[in-house]
Amino acid sequence: MGQILQFGINGLMSGAIYALIAVGIVSVFKATKVVNFAHGYLIMFGAYFYFTFAVLLPGMSWAPAWYVSWEPAWLVEMKEGLPMFSPLGAVLDWLTNLPRVIIGLIGALAANAVVGLIIERVLMRPLMGQSVFAMIMVTVGLISVMSGGAQLIWTADANYVPSLAPNTPIRFTLFDTQIFLFGTDLVNAVIAVLLFGAIVAMVQFTKGGVAIRATAEDQSTAYSMGISVPRVFARAWVLASLTGAIAGAILATRNGVSPSLGLFGFSVLAIVLMGGLDSYVGVFIAALVVGVLEAMTQWKFGGDWAGIVPYVAVLLVILVRPHGLFGQKEVERI
Amino acid sequence: MINGNLKASYADDERVLDNSYKKAFVYGMMVVLAGFAAFANDYLILVACQMGIMLIAVVGLNVVIGYTGLMSLGHAAFIAVGAYGVTILHNLGAGTVPDAVMPFIAVPVAVAISALIGIVVGLPSLRVKGLYLAVATLAANFIVIFVIEQDLFAPWTGGMTGIETPAPNLAGWVLDDKREMFVLIAVFAFATILTVQNLFRTRVGRAFIAIRDRDYSAEILGISLLRFKLTSFAISAAFCGLAGALLAYFYASILPEQFELALSLQLVAALIVGGMGRTMGPVFGVIVIVMVPEVIKVVFGAVSGGDPSVAQLRAPLQEMAFGFLIIFFLMFEPLGIVHITDRILRALNRWPFARG
Amino acid sequence: MLKIEDLHLSFGGIKALQGISFEAQAGEITGVIGPNGAGKTSLFNAISGFYQPDRGRVWFDGRDITGMAPDRRAALGIARTFQNIALFRGMTVLDNIKLGGHTRLKTGLWGALRYFGPAQREELEFRRDIEERVIDFLEIDHIRKVPITALPYGLQKRVELGRALAMRPQVLLLDEPVAGMNREETADMARFILDVQERFGTTILLVEHDMHMVMDICAHIVVLNFGQQIAEGSPQEVSQNPAVIEAYLGAAA
Ligand SMILES: Nc1ncnc2c1ncn2[C@@H]1O[C@H](COP(=O)(O)OP(=O)(O)OP(=O)(O)O)[C@@H](O)[C@H]1O
Ligand SMILES: [Mg+2]
Repeated sequence: MGQILQFGINGLMSGAIYALIAVGIVSVFKATKVVNFAHGYLIMFGAYFYFTFAVLLPGMSWAPAWYVSWEPAWLVEMKEGLPMFSPLGAVLDWLTNLPRVIIGLIGALAANAVVGLIIERVLMRPLMGQSVFAMIMVTVGLISVMSGGAQLIWTADANYVPSLAPNTPIRFTLFDTQIFLFGTDLVNAVIAVLLFGAIVAMVQFTKGGVAIRATAEDQSTAYSMGISVPRVFARAWVLASLTGAIAGAILATRNGVSPSLGLFGFSVLAIVLMGGLDSYVGVFIAALVVGVLEAMTQWKFGGDWAGIVPYVAVLLVILVRPHGLFGQKEVERI
Repeated sequence: MINGNLKASYADDERVLDNSYKKAFVYGMMVVLAGFAAFANDYLILVACQMGIMLIAVVGLNVVIGYTGLMSLGHAAFIAVGAYGVTILHNLGAGTVPDAVMPFIAVPVAVAISALIGIVVGLPSLRVKGLYLAVATLAANFIVIFVIEQDLFAPWTGGMTGIETPAPNLAGWVLDDKREMFVLIAVFAFATILTVQNLFRTRVGRAFIAIRDRDYSAEILGISLLRFKLTSFAISAAFCGLAGALLAYFYASILPEQFELALSLQLVAALIVGGMGRTMGPVFGVIVIVMVPEVIKVVFGAVSGGDPSVAQLRAPLQEMAFGFLIIFFLMFEPLGIVHITDRILRALNRWPFARG
Repeated sequence: MLKIEDLHLSFGGIKALQGISFEAQAGEITGVIGPNGAGKTSLFNAISGFYQPDRGRVWFDGRDITGMAPDRRAALGIARTFQNIALFRGMTVLDNIKLGGHTRLKTGLWGALRYFGPAQREELEFRRDIEERVIDFLEIDHIRKVPITALPYGLQKRVELGRALAMRPQVLLLDEPVAGMNREETADMARFILDVQERFGTTILLVEHDMHMVMDICAHIVVLNFGQQIAEGSPQEVSQNPAVIEAYLGAAA
């Protein structure tokens, strides 16, 4: 029993990260009808940008000392005499890294937004209104371009990047079982859920969101209602890049930075289809379910097997419910 | 002027090589290939073999994507099934089945297994279109590679570290030389193109195209979407399986990572570059897709002069090249190279009466 | 030949068909008329199997085909044309018509891959057959190799009829075959429809807004309005039916 809870909670936490990745795919799809096969690589770029601004730049000879490691007198004083692995120590270590974390996040957000805008402007916009198939296949081409590109720009992989939150171990008892978590994982999951909620709220309630939904309904009607469809496209791509940057930073702190981060995009694509492609709620539930299933698989069969859980799950779901758990079937008029 | 285009009978009108240019081209190609097998140097033979193997796979992929309009991003899985199938069968049969007979059993069985798995993977195509299928095939690709890599199956597949592959012995003729393999591959490649071409002279191929162009119209004509979508998947998987079998015979060993998503994307890239749904599309596409990394390799050899820091940029650049090719053609020549050759041929035909 | 029994069909709140019942007699032309949105196309979709009715049955030649898939119905001998032309636009006229022969041809996968032998014999035999029965019959031999996109609207409608004929159907559903045609083209099409009936004995169901044509060539007429069947009978009876006059005048006013 104890183990189940522990793995269940781990699963929910990684499910939340999946949801954050998925929100980028769903938003772009809602606005443009394009399924972005390269979303995972956008996330990989986010991870590399975070790595650049939080590790590579502070490592330069010209970097100011506070950027490399922030050690005001009071902080040094507090650190004095603390035992190894103490909770307070973890917080203080994180504070030392805080400038790198903040600059890293800002840098990743800005740089990824630029990448997203370039993709939208240079590759998507010229094909707009012509062929959705071509646009989707362009994102397939982007997989190779971005994967190769990252290897050209960042020639080495990295194992360590500073985590977004203090890595304090957290222990508590739930239904008579000891649960053990890392503070940073918990904070990551909370960030992911909050962002997810904020984006859904934005699409539901703001003017920009209404424009996205109107465009999703019917592009030409949206046009005639005075909505600037190209701007909606651009916004959706920027939104995907921004959430991708955060997700990338989180993944980088969990798994290190390497081109294989791009593969996360495919698992999440499977999750998105399982949820129903245009339903935020469905996708959120699917993300949590797959997160938990993965954690359970890892527990029972080992980490290897966890990797194919989303793929097996999507095949099963598609066979039973072709339009996903919560997707709507489009009725074709003849 | 289109010469020799007057038809005296319906049979003449139904021919594939329906004008003298096409005839000259095909018979000319046969002569060129025969000469190539005899006189080309070893490096060229190697490249040509790679092209031939890939061509068979892309012709198969063309059936499902180009002609039936079903997207697949996972056909490398079927190549893997063919390659591993042949290798495993050879190893299992060693000792009991005579070597000279083995390929005649192993290849058909491996191809049949590929076709069967193709049917299973194609099942989602019945209920969903486009995207869902692309993701389903992608998922299948991951799952197949995963299974091959598992320790559980490693005694047969060699697991992550790969496995040595046999050289075929065709009734006493041992093809342990690349030049001999070229002959085998070329014959199969020719036969593949021919059989697929045949398909589209009959109701089966026409049904595929009808499904692609308007699936409700196809149903109204009595075409069973279930049957023909699955048939299309089975055919394409079978050809990819055949390509895999030849690949296993051609190389000394195979690794699971050779058959990952990257290969599936290369196949799709070849199809988009060459032209989907056209006979010559895969031919042009494969030539480009195999040549580009070779050219990059040669250029890098010349530029880097052995400097490892420059040489390590080669692999990422090759990878990017495939992506750029896909994107470039989608944006500027979505119908592929065949569309360019069409225009050239049309201009030649009209000459000297009109330009354009 | 074709019997419709108490057919109901709705899309969400819209009741497209509410209790339609009639029978199309073998070898006759039955007209289905009604104002825009009356449910005529929906009726055809229910007969050819694209929409499952909420209630009611469809009988073909004494057989209940209500739950049957569209392609099986086609194989039984039900052919149709579409209101907005559903030809394969990238293909030539000949290829489109050849597609109509799908259910009559036997070639399987193996035969197709080999081609030479039985498949080739069957193809050539079939080609001869459609040349005579369809292409000569509909006078479209001059456009055999022309892609659909290059054809004027009227000819496209004729090719679609040709594709349906290539199926050698027992029942032929025609959804507005002369919509948008000029006088001369309409007369041509009417003549072809009558020829089909006469020469092949096909049972025809015709949806059409052109009243002159419907009154001229139909033996029996069914009138729909807002999904309801408001009248049925000979052209004479229907044209004097007050409910029909009301529906048409109401729609026009
Ligand atoms: N797939 C569908 N989804 C929702 N409503 C539909 C669908 N198909 C038809 N309808 C509705 O059903 C009603 C009947 O439509 P139908 O096309 O059968 O009319 P019709 O008699 O063929 O009209 P017309 O003369 O304009 O062709 C209309 O109100 C139409 O909007
Ligand atoms: Mg209608």
